[in-house]
Amino acid sequence: MSKYGRTLQIGPTDLTSEKRTPRQPLHLIPEEARASFVPFAPYNFNALPSEADMTRLAPGRPRADGEPIKITGRVTDQYGRPIRKSMIEVWNANKYGRYTHIEDFSGLRLDPNFLGIGRMITDDDGNYEFWTIRPGEYLAFPDISRWRPKHIHFSIRGGASRLITQMYFKDDPHNDTDPMRILMGDNFDANIGKEYEIEGDEFDCGYQFDIVIGGKNPTFFEDI
Amino acid sequence: MTHSNKKINRLTATNEDTLGPYYPISLCDNDNMDMTKIRSGVVNEATGEKIIIKGCVKDKNGNHAHGCLLEFWQPNANGIYRIPETEADDKIDPWFTGYARHRTSDGNFKLITIKPGVDDEQKTPRAPCITLTIFSDGITRVVTQLFFDGDPHNDTDPLLQSIPKELRERLMLKALTRADDGTVIYNIEIKMAGENETPFFDDILS
Repeated sequence: MSKYGRTLQIGPTDLTSEKRTPRQPLHLIPEEARASFVPFAPYNFNALPSEADMTRLAPGRPRADGEPIKITGRVTDQYGRPIRKSMIEVWNANKYGRYTHIEDFSGLRLDPNFLGIGRMITDDDGNYEFWTIRPGEYLAFPDISRWRPKHIHFSIRGGASRLITQMYFKDDPHNDTDPMRILMGDNFDANIGKEYEIEGDEFDCGYQFDIVIGGKNPTFFEDI
Repeated sequence: MTHSNKKINRLTATNEDTLGPYYPISLCDNDNMDMTKIRSGVVNEATGEKIIIKGCVKDKNGNHAHGCLLEFWQPNANGIYRIPETEADDKIDPWFTGYARHRTSDGNFKLITIKPGVDDEQKTPRAPCITLTIFSDGITRVVTQLFFDGDPHNDTDPLLQSIPKELRERLMLKALTRADDGTVIYNIEIKMAGENETPFFDDILS
């Protein structure tokens, strides 16, 4: 009969986590049903090159406020094999910690030249690159004085791959109190973009953020 | 969340993280919550019995869980999932992918689809079911499957039979009403936590 897997953890001071995290342990999936848990997203993805430049609204428009940064990385499975032709969606707050999202009621400053939404397709070796503005940190829950550190949201999807995660910045003082960071424990390092220098004035710096999609879902329909 | 890697030659997985409250709504613009039509404005439709599923996602306190990203996945009317291995299968429906994605602002959703079939050629045939993945703020990702109340295949479904009997009821889509054109409308309430919590499954350790 029922066999149990992980029990999901509630992030400390995360009010939404308290409301939405299942309290019961997850049920293991019997082998006969395992394949049905792997959605295969049809490869009909398309992205314009301009969607990878989040530093401006469109080609030729002025740059948004803040420090332009370049994010590069490679998406693989746990065997190091590239996740090809996958859709990467990214979104981040502007320099002032404000999202353009219609449900961001923080009242923080909007930047007329920043959208904060980008997307791109990984190449044949799993590589991706996009440009954005270094996001600001913001006070997510003023009543408990909890901040969110600077971060960039990522969604990866395509074929059987599926990952939603966030890239963080080393040495952000708010990292230590972030509930998800606390749950990640020692493995938090995997979610930090590795800074590198870029010559010239166009970018403040670059960050390498290699993404490894865990579990067997991304490789479910392939022989290993 | 972290999970250990038993084999030392494997790379450490990037931690899954929450969706946060601000997943860009416009990124779902081209995602189809009507699985019966691969694209709008063409005659061709998926084969099978058209159905509507109306549901909501609720939190521990019984309030609607706003801002969730939902992914639906199901086989066609023949019970065949559209994956690389089945792309050339005679029983594939060229006008059906079985994949839909939706960002719900208020916790409600409406999926138009066809009733999934049963692949009798399988050693252990699955009952008609729809896989649901929920991404949201506060959690990384939870997955479950929704079944059709009263379907005789439920009694032999390996997944349903693997969980305690009293939990199976919580995964049942219930046909309560019909649309004006006669389409059966199924209802389901997903409870993310607490009393009457929906059973969720572990697709990392399984």
